Amino acid sequence: MVSDSIVNVSIPVASSNPRDFGKKKRVNRAAKLKQCKLDARREQWLSQGKNKGSKQELNGGGGACEQGMQVTNEKGQLMEKLAIKPRGEAEENGGYTNTYSDFDSPSNSPTSHTSSVLEGNYSGTNFTGGSSSSSSSSSGGFSSSGGCCSVSMSEEDNEGDDDCLDDWEAVADALAATDKEQERHNSSLDSAPEVHMSFQQEVSDGKVPAMDTSQQNPKGRGTIPGFPVSFQAWRPDDEFRPQSLPNLSKQYTFPMNSGRHYRGGSVWGCKSAAIPTSCPICCEDLDFTDTSFLPCPCGFRLCLFCHKKILEEDGRCPACRKQYKHDTVGGETTKDAGGLMFQVARSCSMISRS
Amino acid sequence: MYSGAPSGGIAIGGGGGGRGRGGGRTWPSTTSVSTSGKRIQKEMTELSMEAPPDCAAGPKGDNIYHWVATLFGPPGTPYKGGIFFLDITFPSDYPFKPPKVVFKTRIYHCNVDPSGNVSLDILTENWSPALTISKVLLALRSMFTNPETFPLLADKPVVPGIAHLYLGDKAKHDEIAAQWTLRFAR
Repeated sequence: MVSDSIVNVSIPVASSNPRDFGKKKRVNRAAKLKQCKLDARREQWLSQGKNKGSKQELNGGGGACEQGMQVTNEKGQLMEKLAIKPRGEAEENGGYTNTYSDFDSPSNSPTSHTSSVLEGNYSGTNFTGGSSSSSSSSSGGFSSSGGCCSVSMSEEDNEGDDDCLDDWEAVADALAATDKEQERHNSSLDSAPEVHMSFQQEVSDGKVPAMDTSQQNPKGRGTIPGFPVSFQAWRPDDEFRPQSLPNLSKQYTFPMNSGRHYRGGSVWGCKSAAIPTSCPICCEDLDFTDTSFLPCPCGFRLCLFCHKKILEEDGRCPACRKQYKHDTVGGETTKDAGGLMFQVARSCSMISRS
Repeated sequence: MYSGAPSGGIAIGGGGGGRGRGGGRTWPSTTSVSTSGKRIQKEMTELSMEAPPDCAAGPKGDNIYHWVATLFGPPGTPYKGGIFFLDITFPSDYPFKPPKVVFKTRIYHCNVDPSGNVSLDILTENWSPALTISKVLLALRSMFTNPETFPLLADKPVVPGIAHLYLGDKAKHDEIAAQWTLRFAR
């Protein structure tokens, strides 16, 4: 029974896998560590293993692990962190798992890991039987977490793709995983870590928990009640949204920043525009030529007419009283001087407006 | 006096009082002749908005080139309690040439000659087109507290006798100044 159902499920998973592959090829240390753990477990499991199914799993599992590693890479680290907490749940799952374990245990544990990566075509199949349907429905979003939960995760991935979850979301979730608050949100993620834990502690049981997680997921997936947000990235207004999350918040803040920048720019604009507004000497409006005219290094600006008049007399800058140099410098002022000028010009302009 | 001032577009509406009330008024667009007028009118607006402490200034009549300023003797000086009137006359090329400031009230001060001419460096060789009447008034006010005794020795409308007395016997100088203030400035 189980196997049949599993097979059915597994096929779609397989289809999804290649895509994930292409997407995520980086290998993290964490992922490698996971692999090692998984391999060790798998070996143990194999030693216990009975069926040919296990062999298939081995084959698939090996590939799966590697591939799975790739998938998990990004999220794997976070997942591991999370793994600690999930335990409590995992234990609960364990209860379930025990029941299931008899069938699945052989195939499940090793396979599940590998399968999760690969999207658990072979190994996953063994497993999935019971859980697959539920898990697939439930997990939707997190393919990455799958590394641990292999079966459920793989299924999730398949559907998740359908759900059009994008990489960035997954990444965001993974990042979020760092925060403990996530636990609730990322029930699915947590569940995956749980699986790891369970595996580590109990080989056979560990596999089963994965099943349980998958079952849990479906509930959560049911969406709101159990695990509200788990699969989607946080909304900006989400309470539980980790502060460390850069994504949306940045995007949201960006306009703000840009606004500030704009203000700054506007200040500059004002400066360039405000300095010129009127000549501090004759109070006439400065035209473009005047605004780009900077006769004195002190930054004092005045209109060309006034400058000419001053040159005809004592030729000293009204502001610093230094003699104007005959080769007047163009618009290149030090910014400080410009700022000073800006203030002066602005005050003048204010007055004139009033 | 008014002859020196350009005639174009200078009339101040409602010319009473001469206080710097011109804030809201719009002046007819001025020609090149009245660049100084625009500048003066702007200064008038500025003074009406915020005048330096113990100072007041504004056009005397319809001619914005002729102002009257009032200085109140700052406390802590022998001029305390005195009200000193000054005539300010703007040249037609005003911002480029300093305004002429004359004390109309007699004052015992080493920088003010008997006819009321003020010796202030910023009103002569150190004038800058960037200076305004407001700043000139501030300088005059600071002159009450700190007479310029040193540069006065040059050929300026100074009263050397008063300067010497100020340096040699400040108490007597202050006494005389206070007497003058009491006598002429109230």
